[in-house]
Amino acid sequence: MKSMMKILSRYVLSAAGIALILLVINFVVLAVWTIQTGQISQKNYSVEQLADGLTKSNGVYSLSSSAADEIAKRYQWAMLLDNDGNVVWSKDLRGDVPLNYSVSDVASFTRWYLNDYPVYAWQRPDGLFVLGGAKGSVWKYNIEVPQKVMNNTLVWIPAILILNGVAAILLALLFGMRLFHSLKPLAKGIEDMAGNRSVELATQGILGDLAAGINKTSAQLVKQEAVLNQRDNARTAWIAGVSHDIRTPLSLVMGYASQLEEDPELSQFHREQAGIILRQSERIKTLVSDLNLASKLEYDMQPLRLNRLALAPLLRAVVADFLNSGLTDNYTVELTISKDAQNSLVTGDEELLKRAVANLIGNSIRHNPNGCVINVNLEKSLGNCLLYVSDNGGGFAQEVLERLNEPQSHIDLQNHGLGLMIVRQIVKAHGGTTEFHNLPGGGCRVILCFPICATNVSC
Amino acid sequence: MSLVMDMNNVFDCKILIVDDEPQLQTMVSEILRREGFTKLITAADCHEAREMFNLEKPDGVILDVCLPDGDGFFLMREFRAVSAVPVLFLSARDEDENRLLGLGLGADDYITKPFLPRELILRLRAVLSRAYFPLVLKQNVKPVFCLGEIEIDLNSGSVTTKKGQLTLTAKEYALLEKLYENRGNIVTGDSLCRAAWGDDLYGYENTLMVHIRRLREKIETQPSAPRYLLTIRGLGYKLTGVDSK
Repeated sequence: MKSMMKILSRYVLSAAGIALILLVINFVVLAVWTIQTGQISQKNYSVEQLADGLTKSNGVYSLSSSAADEIAKRYQWAMLLDNDGNVVWSKDLRGDVPLNYSVSDVASFTRWYLNDYPVYAWQRPDGLFVLGGAKGSVWKYNIEVPQKVMNNTLVWIPAILILNGVAAILLALLFGMRLFHSLKPLAKGIEDMAGNRSVELATQGILGDLAAGINKTSAQLVKQEAVLNQRDNARTAWIAGVSHDIRTPLSLVMGYASQLEEDPELSQFHREQAGIILRQSERIKTLVSDLNLASKLEYDMQPLRLNRLALAPLLRAVVADFLNSGLTDNYTVELTISKDAQNSLVTGDEELLKRAVANLIGNSIRHNPNGCVINVNLEKSLGNCLLYVSDNGGGFAQEVLERLNEPQSHIDLQNHGLGLMIVRQIVKAHGGTTEFHNLPGGGCRVILCFPICATNVSC
Repeated sequence: MSLVMDMNNVFDCKILIVDDEPQLQTMVSEILRREGFTKLITAADCHEAREMFNLEKPDGVILDVCLPDGDGFFLMREFRAVSAVPVLFLSARDEDENRLLGLGLGADDYITKPFLPRELILRLRAVLSRAYFPLVLKQNVKPVFCLGEIEIDLNSGSVTTKKGQLTLTAKEYALLEKLYENRGNIVTGDSLCRAAWGDDLYGYENTLMVHIRRLREKIETQPSAPRYLLTIRGLGYKLTGVDSK
C-alpha cells in the first residue's frame, strides 16, 4: 500500500505541475505578444504624430509628405474638424462621410464607427483630427473597468492563479483516487501472490485485463506450488517407505549376525565374519536413518522439539559418550568451553543438536583411521554461540568442501557427505549457520553459529 | 495382576509377540527362548492378537507399530482398557518416535528396528520388572565394593578403611552412587549435579569440586593424587578400579 500511496502522490503532483506549466506558457505567450504588438505600434506613426504632420501656415493646411504616405498606406482618409463640427481640411475623404458633425455625432464615432469606418481622433488646438480606416478592418470595443477593480488586479491575478492550481490539484486528486481505487485490489492481489496466497480478483472495469492476468498467474502459481509440494511429499514419503521396508530385513540380518557372533560353538574366524556383517548392517541402519532425517529436514517435515537449552552440558554429554564408547588411544577428544559460554542458552531440539555434534566428531574419527586430535570449542560472540569442531587429520577433499559450503546444493549421496549435510540442515533448522574449512596446517574445522536466546526472555 | 503371585522372575512371564513378518516373529521368539523365556505366543495381525490376548492373558506384549490390519497404538489402547499389561513397541519408522513419546509410555517402552538381540532383551526385562517386580527392585540390596583396600557399602553409606569407619554425607553418597552406576565411564559434571542437586553444572562448579574433594578424602588413600576417582578435564569425573564384591 505504501507504493500505491507513492504512485497517487506522484500522480497528483505531476498533474498539478502540468497545470502550472500550461499557465506559465500562456502567460509567457501573452507577454511576448503584448511586447511585440507594442514594438509594431512603436515603429509606425501614431495618430498623434500624424495629427502633428498637419500644419497650418497663412490659413492654409499642409500635410507633411511622410504623414501623407503613412495615411495612404494604413488608412483611407483623414479630416480636420473645427470646433463647430465642420470639416476644414480633408484628404481622400469618401463621399459617404458627412462634412458636418454635431457634438453627439463626434461622441458616437469616437466611441464606435463613422458610417462603418473605424476612425481615430486626436485633439488639436484648432479642432479634431480624424483618421478613417478601411471598412471592416478593425474591431472596436470599448472596455471599461471600475477603478477599484483595476486597483485590485495585483490581488486578483495571483488569487486566480492559486485558484487554478487548487482546482488542478483537486481534479488530479479526484482522478488519482479513482485510479488508486481501481489499482488497490490489483496491488493487494500482487502482494497476496508474493505471500503465496491464492488470488481471485474481480475482472470488470478498465483494469479488468490486468486483474484477469493476475488471477491467471496466481492460479498457475498455486498449481505449481501444489505440484512441488506433492513431489516433495512423495519423495519424503518414498524415502520413509523405503527405509521402513529396509528395517525389517535388516532386523533379521542384525539379529542372526549378532547371535552368530556370540555363538561359542563357531570358530573365532566365523564369529569375526559374523561381527563384520553386524557392523556393516549397523552402518546401513545409520545410513537409512540419516537419509530419512536428511530428506525430512530438507523439506521441513522434521518436527522440532524446541526447548531452551544450554549447549555446554550438551557438549559435555556428547564428548563423554564418545570417550565412554571405547574410543581407541590414537584418538583424543578435547572439549574447551569459554567461561562466558558456560551458561549460554539456545533454542533447539536437544536430540538433533547432539546428533549434529556427534556427526562432526564421528566424521573426524571415520575419515582419520590412523587417529587424530579432535577439538571441540564453545565460545560466545555478539549474541551468537560459536561451536568449533576441528581435527588435525587429513581435512576435506576440495570438491567435498565446495559442496558443503554451497548453500544451494541439495541432498547428495556422493562421498558419504550425508552426515555433514545433516549437520548443515540441523543448524539451518535452528536458524544458525555452518562453515566448513580446511586448516592450513592440515586438518579441518567446522564452525556452527547459533543465535543465543536471551536469558530472561522466553523464546 | 493375580499372576504376579505365580511368578518368581521375569522369565515366567507369558509374552505375546505381534509382528506381521513371520521370520521376525521366529527370530524374536528364538531370542527370547534362548534368554530363558518359555511361555511365548505369536500373532501376525491385530485380529489374531486380540484373540490371543483374550485367550492367553499374556503378561507382556511385544507389539509391532505397523500391522496389516491396524495400528499398534490403537491395539495397545484396547489392551489397556482391560489390563495394565506392559507393552514393548517395535517401530520401523523414525516418525513413530514422536507418537511414542507422545504416549507418555509409563510402564512401556519402544525399540526401533533394526535392533540387537541384547537390546531387545534388556528393554523387555526392564519393562516386565517395572510392571511386576517394582518392590523387589527397591528392596534390592545396594552394592558393596572395594577401591583398593577401602571398602564402601552403599547400603549404610559407610567407608571402611584400615584406620576405621567413616560415613558419607547425603551429597557424597549421591555423587558416589552415580559414579558407581557408571563405573569405568566418564560421568559429566552435569549428570553429577543433577544427581546431587537436581540441576546442571552451571553455578555449582565450586560446590561440586568441594564435595568431590571431601569424597576423595574419604575413599582415596592419597586424596591429592587420586587413583580411583579421576578428574576428566572439561567433562567430569570417572570412577575406576572398582572391585565389586
